[in-house]
Formats: sequence, structure tokens, C-alpha cells
Amino acid sequence: MFLIFTEIESTSATKLDVIFVLSTTPRTRFHCFDQYNSGTLLAVSDLLQIGSSNERPMPPKAEDIDLRFGPQAVAELEALKSHYPNWKACMLPALWIAQREYGGFLGDAAIMEVAHRLKRSAAEVQGVATFYSMYNTQHQPGRHKIEVCTCLSCHFNGAFRIRDYISNKLGIGNRETTEDGMFMLEEVECLNACDRAPVLQVGDQYIGPVDEAAIDALLEKLRSTEESTVVQMADQIVQCHLQSSERVGSIK
Amino acid sequence: MAELKLLLKHADDPTYRTLKGYKANGGYKGLSKALKLEKQAIIDEVKTSGLRGRGGAGFPTWIKWNGLAKDKKSTHYVVCNADEGEPGTFKDKQLMEDCPFLLVEGMTIAAYAVQGDVGYIYIRAEFLDAAKAVRQAIDEAYANNLLGKNILGTDFSFDLHVHLGAGSYECGEESALMSSLMGERGMPRLKFPHAPLPTVSGVWESPTLLNNVETFACACPIMVDGGEAYSKLGASTKNSRGTKIFSVSGHVNKPGNFEIEFGTPLKELLELAGGVKGGKLKACIPGGSSMPVIKPDEIDRAIIGYEEFQEVNSMVGSGGCMFFNEHTDIVMLCWRTALFYANESCGKCTPCREGTRWMNQILDRIVAGNGQKGDKELLVEVASQIEGRSFCALGEAAAWPVKGFIRQFPEEFDYWIEHGKSPVKSKESLVMVP
Repeated sequence: MFLIFTEIESTSATKLDVIFVLSTTPRTRFHCFDQYNSGTLLAVSDLLQIGSSNERPMPPKAEDIDLRFGPQAVAELEALKSHYPNWKACMLPALWIAQREYGGFLGDAAIMEVAHRLKRSAAEVQGVATFYSMYNTQHQPGRHKIEVCTCLSCHFNGAFRIRDYISNKLGIGNRETTEDGMFMLEEVECLNACDRAPVLQVGDQYIGPVDEAAIDALLEKLRSTEESTVVQMADQIVQCHLQSSERVGSIK
Repeated sequence: MAELKLLLKHADDPTYRTLKGYKANGGYKGLSKALKLEKQAIIDEVKTSGLRGRGGAGFPTWIKWNGLAKDKKSTHYVVCNADEGEPGTFKDKQLMEDCPFLLVEGMTIAAYAVQGDVGYIYIRAEFLDAAKAVRQAIDEAYANNLLGKNILGTDFSFDLHVHLGAGSYECGEESALMSSLMGERGMPRLKFPHAPLPTVSGVWESPTLLNNVETFACACPIMVDGGEAYSKLGASTKNSRGTKIFSVSGHVNKPGNFEIEFGTPLKELLELAGGVKGGKLKACIPGGSSMPVIKPDEIDRAIIGYEEFQEVNSMVGSGGCMFFNEHTDIVMLCWRTALFYANESCGKCTPCREGTRWMNQILDRIVAGNGQKGDKELLVEVASQIEGRSFCALGEAAAWPVKGFIRQFPEEFDYWIEHGKSPVKSKESLVMVP
């Protein structure tokens, strides 16, 4: 009945042992708690059905969702898992993979897939994804996302004039996408390139200092770019995580 | 006094980003020297150097390095905070883009000294150029036995990974960064004395060394030239040693990063950046947006140093130095700063979540021309209620600048509240968010 664990390697534990953790080190308690949350470990209460384990949020099952990660994405996620002591820590890079695989938008389907693959509950993954401003959890961002820095140095070098110019030219406001799905405009906080104020970010490129003429040229260039810079950026972020031996794609 | 370049010496040289060019310019001498030393000797060297954290708080680096368990019981982690988000700062960006090997070598030295096994460089996802440069440096280091198993034939092994964030200012805070690295929302955790220090229980409840990019990079010159030589730099100041990279921006002719010795007058930093453009100097935020603003007479007598800046009621912070000319509307500056903190507050604790919002709303109505009598006092009151009561330092970072602006330029707030318009004539600063 009493089984005292001194150390559990979370990545390797798939066994459904029934354990009762007496007093152990904080580190062990931490791992047990972590695995309990991810559903790879059952508690005594689950076995005896004290309280219903159905009330605990469980990771989505494979049959409930339509998996869309390709072989490359699966291989990348497997490689990432070896970088951290547990799967939960892969959350941010896994969401970047999902953002790439789902065309730049982290909708319910993408969240469910990440939750399934990392064995976390969908609510937890959604909670993490919505905290960070670079995950597009609200709506499809369009093919190109133009992020205008409007923080201090940029503000006093004309960032709002630039913002208004783009806004008028494209006929969209902050965090809106054009009807043809081409552009999304977003005001962002400091991009930390204050020496290049006013600065914009499109995909993985910083562009600055910009003026009206530079904006015209930029929009023209982006219109003729077939590849989505949103997806391309997510891809580059994923590639930067991977060691050279693990990399399937390339860093451009 | 001109620039004194220790870290950015070869920043203009594109070959410095490759291992070959880095080694040709004296790279990896520090590590090979360190690997021959006792671990404690390295920490003592850092202690002698007087190096203090370059991320903002200025905590003595050696205390952190010394804090990790000497008799190792579990994995030791070495984490680099490259989530540079403080408005006005862009030094880590340039360091990573132009001198990525300095960071990689510095982290390897630190890992050797604290018996680190695995390292993570937490870079904000916007900095893709920096992340790519660091990635390439790590790949090259692995290929040449400078990372991985048995580094340079010793029994020391160290794995280094790149981890990118996803857009959150709050993740630059030490404990929030650890949360984010562990795959959670980037919210701060309980800190010492209510919880153990990260050096005792950090990421995954293991001993963790967490330093800024510039701090790790400083380990290289300290190892090569010795702590004694490093501590001679900035000897004229009370307790600031070595060099510091300042990011100068705003209304200056030549914005950019300038590495200067501690003890240099602030005026000279402005001269290095080509002086003020578009009018006379009006104000300066010397250490990133969370530091209180200072006026021209204080700029004239300010000496750069952790203690020296306190004499003009400001701080070195992260080194994001912004100068503003006479056409700058201080209330607008205050409004934009408050908006930044209201947007970036993580929402964990009430004083910061609500307080930043309130300050923003009060300033919103002042700059919309609907300021009410007593708004200035109300702002100070709200800021004072945040200060010292928030969960992490973001609350203080939001309160200090607002109080600083009001203390230094009360007449501008009065003018706005009374007349509903700006006391200065400037088109730029009056463009509003709808």
C-alpha cells in the first residue's frame, strides 16, 4: 500500500502506479504533482473513487481531435522534449510549432493538439497561450502582421503618425485584419530597437527608421510575397530552438 | 573621456560572429584559463572584480555564483536572461547579434564555476536576429568541443539550449522568467525570504544561476585579464566597477550603444551620442523607462555609477538612456510610460494590476483635456499605494517614473489640468490613441 518514491523521472513515467507519497523531498513532490496533473500518475483517491477523477481536467484524447502536425513537426517536438526535464516545459516551443502548422492562428484545434501531445489539459495550454502577446489566439492574423512599436522613443519620433498612415492606407484599425486576409496591424510595446525609432516588425525582420515612403515600398513588397511572414517567423523561432543535429528545416 | 570597449571592442567586425574570428581576437582564452583553475578560485576572481548584475538591480554577481551548492545533489541549471524588454534598452540585442560567443563563453565559464549541467538562454521571440546569431554560435561551439560532453578534454560537460519567449515584458523579471521557462504563464513567484533563493531552488526546484546577458559576457574579460584589472576600471566611483553599455536613444543625433567606464559624467554620454537634436535638452531618463526622470542641471552633475545616480534620485537600471528635447511634452511622456506598464502588468497582484490601470485612466483624462483638480495628487497617491506593495518589481517600475515626472515637472501637469492642452508646441507628441 505504501510506496515511497525518492525520485521519479517525469519524462519516463508512463506506468500508472498507485502511489501514496508520504514525506519526501520537495523535488519529488513537485514531480508527482506535475505528473498527476498531466494524467500519467494516478492518486489513491482515483483508485478508491473518492471524488471523481472526471472532475480533473484531463488531456484531450487522440480520437476526439483531428491531428495536423506533420512528420517534421512531430520529430521537432520529440527533439525538444529532450531539452527539458519534463514535457510541460516544451509548452512555449510546442505552441510555436502549432502556430506554424496551423497557418499562424492558434485556434481551439491547435490548442487541443498541443494539449494532447504534451499530455496537459486544454485549459492549461489555452491559459499559457493567451498570456503571451505573440501567439495569435484571437483571430487569423492574415498573411503579414505589421507590428508598429509605439513605445517611448518611437512615440517621440513619430510612431503614431506612422501607425495612422498604415491604418488609413489599409483601412484597418489596431488588431484588425484586412478583408482580403493580407495584412494585420498591431501596436506593440517596446521592440527594443530604440536606436532605429520609429521601428516596425514584420515577420522576423525589424524595419526602421521608417517614413511614409518606406511604408509604401514595404506594403508593395509584402503584397507580392506569397509566403506568409507570420508562419515563416514561427518556423524560424522553432528552428532556433533546435540543435544542428536535430534540425529538419534551416535557419535563414 | 571616450568610450572604453571591453565587450563591444570587436562588435563592428563581422568575422567576430564566427568561432574562427572570435578565437583570432582572443576568444576562448578565458574558458581555457578557467578550466585550469579551482571552481572557487573563479568565484573569488569575480568577487575581486566587483562585478554587479547588469540587468537592473545591480546585485553583486559573485554572491549569486557562490550561492549554489558546493556538494552537488541534483542538476544545476544556468539560465541567461535575454528577455530584454525595458523601453529604451537595446544593449543585449547588440551583444547577442554581434558578439554571441562572448555570451556562450561567459555562460560556460559560469557553468564550470557553479557545476552547472544544463543552460538555457531565454531570448524574447522578437529578437530573431539575435537568436539566430546565438544559435549559430552554439552550433559551432558544439562542433568544436566547446560545449557538450568533456569540454576541451576535461571532465566538465555542459549543454546549452536556446529558449525563446513569446512576447511578455514581465518575463524579464527573474521569477517570472523561471515560470515561463517551465512552460507556465509568465507570472512572478514568491521570493526570498518567503521562498528559497533561485540559487537554492530555482527552475524545476533545482539550484539555478540566473544572470543577464551582459553580466555573463563580463565573465570573459574578467577571466582573461583577472579580477584585479577589471576592478581598477571605475575606481573613482563608490562601488561600481568595470564598464557598462548604455543604449542612448530619443532626441539625439547618433543613437546607439556606447560602452563607457563607470565614473564617466552623464554629459559625456550625451556628447558621444552626438548631442541633442531639434532643440535644447529638457529631460533624461537615465536607466530605462522605470527610472525617475532627471532635469538638465542634474544631467550636468550626474556621474554614472550605481550609488552616484542615487544622488540625483535616479538609478542605472538596465542602461537605457533616453534624452528628450524642449519640445517634449512631459505629461505625454508620463502617459505613454503609464500605458506601457498598464499593458504589461501580468495581473497577478491587485496593487499593480489595478493601480497601473488607474494611473493610466487618470492620465488618459488629463491628456484628453478633461483633467480635474487634484488629479496630480491622486496620481501620486495611487503610485505610492503600488510602491512597496506589489508582488514583483514591475509595480515599483510603474510607480517610480510617474512620481518622478510629477516631482520634476509639476507645472506641466498643472498647465494640462487647468487649460486642457499642452504647454509645449509639438505636433508629434500630441497624436493620440483613439
